[in-house]
Amino acid sequence: MIKRRNLLALVFVAALSVLPLIAQQQQTDRVKAIGGKFQCMCGCSQVLTQCNHVGCTMSAAMLKNLGDWVNRGDSEATITQAFVQQFGTTVYAEPPKSGFSLIAWGMPIAYFVLGAALVLFVISRWRKRPQAVGVDAAAPVTASGAKISPEAMERGRAQAARETED
Amino acid sequence: MDVFGSFTLLLAFVCAVYAFVGGIAAIITRHPLLIKSTRQAGIATCVLIFIGTFSLAYLLFSDNFSQAYVVSHSNRDLSAFYKVAALWSGQEGSLLFWSFLLAIYVISVLIAYRHKNGELMPYVGVILAGVQIFFLTLNNFVESPFKTLANVSASGVLTPFIRLDGNGLNPLLQYPEMVIHPPNLYSGYTGFTIPFAFALAALLARYPGEKWIHLTRKWTMVAWCFQSVGILLGAHWAYAVLGWGGYWGWDPVENASLLPWLTGTAFLHSVMMQEKRGMMKVWNVWLVFATFLMCILGTFLTRSGVVSSVHAFANSQIGPWFVSFMALTLIVCFVAYIKNHDYLKSENQLDSMVSRESSFLFNNLLFLVACIAVLSGTLFPVFTEWFTPSRISVGAPFFNKIMIPIGLAILFLTGVGPLLAWRKTSTDSMKRNFTWPLAFGALSAVVAYVLNYRNAYALVCFFLCGFVFWTIVMEFYRGAKVIAARSGMGLMMSAHELAMRNTRRYGGYVVHFGMVLIFIGLAGAAFNTDVQKTMNLGDSMKLGPYTLVLQTADTKPEKNYTAERMIVEVMKGNKQIMMLYPEKRAFQGRDQANGTMVAIYSTLREDVYVVFAGMDPDTNLPVIHAFLNPLVKWIWLGGVWVVMGTLLALMPNRRAALVLSAVTQPAVSPVAPALTPSVTLREGHD
Repeated sequence: MIKRRNLLALVFVAALSVLPLIAQQQQTDRVKAIGGKFQCMCGCSQVLTQCNHVGCTMSAAMLKNLGDWVNRGDSEATITQAFVQQFGTTVYAEPPKSGFSLIAWGMPIAYFVLGAALVLFVISRWRKRPQAVGVDAAAPVTASGAKISPEAMERGRAQAARETED
Repeated sequence: MDVFGSFTLLLAFVCAVYAFVGGIAAIITRHPLLIKSTRQAGIATCVLIFIGTFSLAYLLFSDNFSQAYVVSHSNRDLSAFYKVAALWSGQEGSLLFWSFLLAIYVISVLIAYRHKNGELMPYVGVILAGVQIFFLTLNNFVESPFKTLANVSASGVLTPFIRLDGNGLNPLLQYPEMVIHPPNLYSGYTGFTIPFAFALAALLARYPGEKWIHLTRKWTMVAWCFQSVGILLGAHWAYAVLGWGGYWGWDPVENASLLPWLTGTAFLHSVMMQEKRGMMKVWNVWLVFATFLMCILGTFLTRSGVVSSVHAFANSQIGPWFVSFMALTLIVCFVAYIKNHDYLKSENQLDSMVSRESSFLFNNLLFLVACIAVLSGTLFPVFTEWFTPSRISVGAPFFNKIMIPIGLAILFLTGVGPLLAWRKTSTDSMKRNFTWPLAFGALSAVVAYVLNYRNAYALVCFFLCGFVFWTIVMEFYRGAKVIAARSGMGLMMSAHELAMRNTRRYGGYVVHFGMVLIFIGLAGAAFNTDVQKTMNLGDSMKLGPYTLVLQTADTKPEKNYTAERMIVEVMKGNKQIMMLYPEKRAFQGRDQANGTMVAIYSTLREDVYVVFAGMDPDTNLPVIHAFLNPLVKWIWLGGVWVVMGTLLALMPNRRAALVLSAVTQPAVSPVAPALTPSVTLREGHD
């Protein structure tokens, strides 16, 4: 009984000791995730967490601030606000999903929806359009009884040849 | 030589104006002599541009430091190899180089079709001359590469002077790929002028649609191939030189090169609809127009300074010129279309929604959405400045989020297209055709998952890559099996024979295979990792399964730069894999200019990418930044396949002729040998 209690205590202590490591990893992941949404302001146009200029004072200072804010438990909105206050809206690596910037996110979707609607409209028009075929009294007859003019036959042959080429 | 070069460019401008004005007169009067003389003026324009370009090259090679361009972009110690690159490293030189490449295309067209397409060629000549006039205006009057250095005295008198040495070439450009990448990209940009000229000419002359498509098909493929190679070489250069661990950063200049590629690719697909079914004529004409306009727009974005870019040319005064030219071109295209659009009526109707025609329409839709999404994302910072008080940046995370789904959808259609029949595809046929590719796609995703490539987008990508790959295999297998059965050849030889008989179709499949490899490589980016460490000699760092040990460092003086080199040993377990030598180069000529030389150990599985990032300002020890980038090599391999596929598609088809020949059979009767027709294959070309 005592042994089991000791074992449980040991597991509890071990779990407690791992917790800071997990928390630290989570902090690091959070810094990477949030840092990926901002640009380094040194002018390299790179994402903050990817700026590779050694001695780049901007990215080093920005990452330090970010780390401090994340450790303090600040929300992403608060951190974003702090960066924007400091550097202006050019600090965004991607436009925020609010206000005027929503247009940037909405545009590709709008293009796709409009384009798809246009394609479907074109297809439906093409499908409805009757095909003009001249008919001759002595023309060959299809299985359904419709007559086909020699010109239409010739056109058909040429088309078949073209379509079976590739 | 500078006066000579300047004079030849001025003369070229005069000839181009004559070719343009005389060409319009020739179209109106239909006078044969006038037509001939304007064509010859067009050829003379090209020859004069060649001479002007060689004059600038001569000034660079002869270290003529009385010339501003030579001083700015070359120096005495610059090797001859890089003096070639100096030709297009500056704004003025690159615009002249643009005219030079355009002249190669124009002279080829004017000579190749001098006795053909009599009705169309005067129009083509006028349009090409018009484009040349625009670039020659820039070369002569706006950004002349032939400017002599001079001192201005107090009394205002100019005294020419000669500098002892030049500033040298931008260190970022002193890399072998930089001697190949810009000419390829520019050849792509300029090459799209030819299909544009033919499309507009056909519209103006009401020339039969299939004819201009047939005439320009190969020109378009050539331009597209150059553009593809240019983009990939640029990506490889960014990867190997810039040292940030990636190959595509969605920089405005990169985006500018992608725009015409996307519309050009859409055109190469939709053109088949016009050839086979006489459909999408309006669409094709506008796609060609859009591709050309995207080339001009891309150049405008690169050179006007309207968007900030790490490798855009400096702000200059040529922006308004490009905007005016684009506006004029657009007006001409609109007027031509409104005047003659009735001749672009579709000849056929669509039989079914589930057909290859529909897949082409959706393929075009996706390419166009991709193009507009990239364009609007690139220009969005400019829009925000117009409509809001501040500028909002649009960087790589935005483009990745938007473009990955579009790219995957395009990849999906790459596989679906060949599985659908023209006109209509039955449900049975769909089941039969889709089962195995889908199964192979699923298997690919499972294998990727087992190999630890666990990311939702990447797994979808691997699934689609497997799907497309199997459709390509099936296409080759089915055709080869028929040829093998008829000819008795082996399956591989039959596949080769098949490809040679319909080079365009099977070349296209080879290009698709190359794209599959590229997508595999792109999917690898989801698993990139990196470590940066300040290292003393003998220190090591872990990078995935590898251990990197900084063995030593040395300094290597070269003719034009001095390299500070780190010697890094790459170990896997206890086994030495190889030594890597990342460098920092301090170039002469430009004050303190530095360049990076990344060291890469590349395998099909991953790249170990090591950068000597500089010295730590606190400890004065070297900082090593190492990246583990999976599957990158597949991108470059894919590029090779894309080129091979395009070259195959450009080759003429080999015809399989059925020849009836008398073959002596064993005598059935003792009276006479029987003559029986037998079928043999004879090769030929059409």
